[in-house]
Amino acid sequence: MTAVARMAMLDLRTVAPYRYQGLLVFALGAVLFSNRPTVYVVALVLFFTSQFAAYPFSVADKAGLETLYAVLPLSRRSVLYGHYVWAVVLFLATASVGTTLALLLARAQDVPFDGRTLATVLTVSWAAFAVNVAIQFPLVVRFGYTRVSVLGTALPLAVIAGTIYKLHLTIPSIQSWLPLFWVAGVTAIVASTAVAMTADRRRVRHG
Amino acid sequence: MSSDLAFALRGVSTAVGNNFALREVSFELPTGYVMGLIGANGAGKTTTIRCLLGMRPIDTGEIELLGHPVPGPVALRQDVGVVLDHPFLVGDWRLAEVERTLRPFYERWDGGRYRQLLDEFGLDLRAKVKDLSRGMAMKLMIAVALSHQARLLVFDEPTSGLDPVTRDELVGIVGDFLIDEGHSVLFSTHITSDLDRIGDYLTLIHDGRIVRTGTKDEVLDAYRVVRGGPDDLSDLVGVQLIGVRRTPTGAQALVPAESADFLGGYVLVEAPTLEEIAVHIGARDPRRSPDPDASVDPGPEPDRRAGRREPDSSMSTEGNA
Repeated sequence: MTAVARMAMLDLRTVAPYRYQGLLVFALGAVLFSNRPTVYVVALVLFFTSQFAAYPFSVADKAGLETLYAVLPLSRRSVLYGHYVWAVVLFLATASVGTTLALLLARAQDVPFDGRTLATVLTVSWAAFAVNVAIQFPLVVRFGYTRVSVLGTALPLAVIAGTIYKLHLTIPSIQSWLPLFWVAGVTAIVASTAVAMTADRRRVRHG
Repeated sequence: MSSDLAFALRGVSTAVGNNFALREVSFELPTGYVMGLIGANGAGKTTTIRCLLGMRPIDTGEIELLGHPVPGPVALRQDVGVVLDHPFLVGDWRLAEVERTLRPFYERWDGGRYRQLLDEFGLDLRAKVKDLSRGMAMKLMIAVALSHQARLLVFDEPTSGLDPVTRDELVGIVGDFLIDEGHSVLFSTHITSDLDRIGDYLTLIHDGRIVRTGTKDEVLDAYRVVRGGPDDLSDLVGVQLIGVRRTPTGAQALVPAESADFLGGYVLVEAPTLEEIAVHIGARDPRRSPDPDASVDPGPEPDRRAGRREPDSSMSTEGNA
């Protein structure tokens, strides 16, 4: 296992004691969106991953895990990349489980949920996730979760809401833009990783 | 780089904003010994340790750790165990989860040793980290450090807030660790009694500067404590008084040992305890310059533990505080 994978696993173990809170979000979402299964996946990604992807930072703040990261045989690069890998894996797991549940809900409710709709839902989910992580992580890395928890949650959501509103007005059909959304999401995360590395160096230097 | 040294700091300075947190800090520990890093709260002990471990960048100087420059290869951390006064682990982890979490990071992790140590320390694998007392948490961190077979243990204020029985147990654990001559310990504390038993070398730090470093006996021999009436320690010429404490009934201060010869017979001159040195050094005015004539003439250091090498007395140096 590589150092980055070990770090991602450490993030998983960090939030593992709080897994029941996460499962509760899944269950509540299923109840709230039982009549709108196509929205369920996007909502899950927006609310579940936006909270749980950064949850290792929250626990780390409280438990002093930054000291643990500094003591373990891990480079800072591995620590940061591990956080991002954890977030992407969380997205993939959330989207997979959410999609399965949404398809089951759609079948139970007799709601049409074809492949075209599924592609749109997953693409919008990915883009929303990427924007969220791309903005939230560098902020948290630089200032700590506790200091930017509200801003780190509200700012990405505001950007996502504004983008959806703008695209709704200017793009007649979102279908042709789907590949661009995937590329933009990957680009945002890669750029965010570079920004987080710089932010981390500044944090170490200036506290 | 010297493989005979557990670590060395040479001319290390680091600043917080415009203020120096450490200024020209230099001291070293040969492999196989315990060094006590003594200073009051805020003296710079934790900053020194953070610099030593590469957790904090330095502005000038160089640091050597287990034969490698710092910052050095990440693999170097396989050989260093860190024990703070609090566990830096998730409070909701059970002790079994602590092992599952940390094991993948360490090449020499010994699960059997971890469980054996927990058993020796009276720790339950099913207990949660947050439910441990301070003493238990410290033992857990020691168990972690020993389970990945660290060669250097770094303790940062491990005994603050611990009861005497637990502190005594800790000293015993450190003694056991040192049976292997390749093992070394840096022990930061303001509780000097811990070092009376296990300290081979001492470094006194005050206001981010090293006041003195050397073997324990060298440091003890370098000072005298003087006691007199309320006015006896006033108007002394040519004598550097360190951390003068005056009460309505008397006055007490620390002086460099060689200055004691210049004191008249009207004051009582005694060999200080480690605690007295720490108290007076901690009470000194950080802006005051040291006596440039102060020096140390270290004598040989008898070893107290069978099978251990004698500390090198040539290392004693007067700091620049």
